[in-house]
Amino acid sequence: MADIVDIAVNAGSFKTLVAAVQAAGLVDTLKSPGPFTVFAPTDEAFAQLPPGTIHTLLQNIPQLARILTYHVVPGKLMAADIAKLNSLTSVEGSAIRVDTSDGFEVKNATVLAPDIEADNGVIHVINRVILMG
Amino acid sequence: MTTATATKLPPSQHEFAEVIHRLEAGGAMLPDSPENLMQIIGIYKAYAVPMDFYWRDLLYIAERVFLNPFPFFKYFLPKEYLDLHNHYAGDDADLRVWQKGEASAHPELLEFMEKGKTFKMPKLFHHLWHDRVNMEFAEACMRAMLWHGRDMGWGKFDAYLDTPEYKAAADKAIKAYFKGNPVMLGMYKMFPEMFIEQVRQLSYYSNLGLFWEVMAPVFFEMSDRYDSGDIKSVPDAMNFLVNGIFAMAGRPIYHHVYIGDEMYEIIPKSCGFTWLYEAALPYVEAVFYRTAPFRGTKSYNAQVKQVPEDQKDFHYGILYADVFPVGTAGIPPTLLMQDMLHFLPNYLVDYYQQHCRGEDDMLIQLGISFQRSMYCVTSAVIQALRTALLYPLDDPNPKHLEANREFFESQLNRFKRPEARLRDIQSPDYR
Repeated sequence: MADIVDIAVNAGSFKTLVAAVQAAGLVDTLKSPGPFTVFAPTDEAFAQLPPGTIHTLLQNIPQLARILTYHVVPGKLMAADIAKLNSLTSVEGSAIRVDTSDGFEVKNATVLAPDIEADNGVIHVINRVILMG
Repeated sequence: MTTATATKLPPSQHEFAEVIHRLEAGGAMLPDSPENLMQIIGIYKAYAVPMDFYWRDLLYIAERVFLNPFPFFKYFLPKEYLDLHNHYAGDDADLRVWQKGEASAHPELLEFMEKGKTFKMPKLFHHLWHDRVNMEFAEACMRAMLWHGRDMGWGKFDAYLDTPEYKAAADKAIKAYFKGNPVMLGMYKMFPEMFIEQVRQLSYYSNLGLFWEVMAPVFFEMSDRYDSGDIKSVPDAMNFLVNGIFAMAGRPIYHHVYIGDEMYEIIPKSCGFTWLYEAALPYVEAVFYRTAPFRGTKSYNAQVKQVPEDQKDFHYGILYADVFPVGTAGIPPTLLMQDMLHFLPNYLVDYYQQHCRGEDDMLIQLGISFQRSMYCVTSAVIQALRTALLYPLDDPNPKHLEANREFFESQLNRFKRPEARLRDIQSPDYR
């Protein structure tokens, strides 16, 4: 099996995410044994952000890293594990609300494809960039 | 006024249902009318000029004046800070928000600093005559943020000020600043917390300075776009602000101090603090909503609970202010009104002359326009939070629309109290 980064690169629909992870210097972390649970926004999800948002973040690496680490949770949590919880604590430190009562929603994002397993964790594909608060 | 809404939900039963339906249709708390638009844009422009002074001076105090025990000249901005390039204007901008503007101090500001409303004379006389930009207003806003910092529920800035890393960085800068000054170093040894607390306040100077550095070019650009016809309605203005909030969200918030030739990072950029979470949201909460009861013109009896017990329930910001009594003493919002008076666009001067007592109460009238304009900014913050944390206004899922409505209703609950001016600004006759 491949690691989280390789899967994202090979999928082809996470170009913005991969570029942001590279810019933020998080590649090595996400290639480490982990394990991690990553909520991966698609390219369309990033494209929904108002213009300028990504531009400013790419200029400011620690700030970019903070937004990205909000999408990562320590441990390997499959959809079935998350269904038992209301909230997760991100690597960034803030809580992520989850709702599996009707579909699988992570904050205001909907999971498009759950449980993509990697060597060092699991990826859940989401349709929106999630933000703290 | 239309209550038509794009949603499929039944009508809201909220006291401000009309406003909620307007927010759900992509509008603002302030009704959309050409008169409202003219007032708020004119005020943004008049606000942006003194703001261009505020942010520069706030950074100057945070970075250079620092712990000067006799900061008599802290409002005397050196050329270096007047020339300091705004990161969001000019050719070398990080992101050029103000398209036509220069990165250094605004020409109208420079002209005012030279002549004031009297005539050209040495800086010191302008200062003593109070014929100058009122930095006291900016400092009052900064103090509101410091005072409410702890329990605002947004960002990590205030909590960081209590960490060992922060104290160690402050300690290093304090010792460097007072190097060769045994009296002050002795004082520091005796009262270390007092010095650290002063540095915390200076960190808020930096925070607010970095926040307003963004807002000044945003407001100038809005004024230009109104003049050129690109902003045609109140929702246009609000949406420009919403986009601005997102575009600037990741701007770093930090506190650097320059002592001699060396730079000390009290709060390094690597903390990852952002403009949105660590500055803008706390600013809106502390300054627009809460602040503190104004001293001077109005008495409050704390024993009969005229002042809330919890800081989170404070409601003395511009969204609640009774502009008339506020306008009778030298207290912070009046100082801002005075500052804006110098830079009103002509169309707003003409407008005020036609109403009420004309020139005699221009300060009150512009204070109320300012209130309207800040309801528009607050609407932008509410819509930006809805965009960031909730769902699109045209989301096909009714559960999502219900969540949006709950959010809007909870936000407007804060304006149910009698002091709130949300009711007043619905009518053009409130002036």
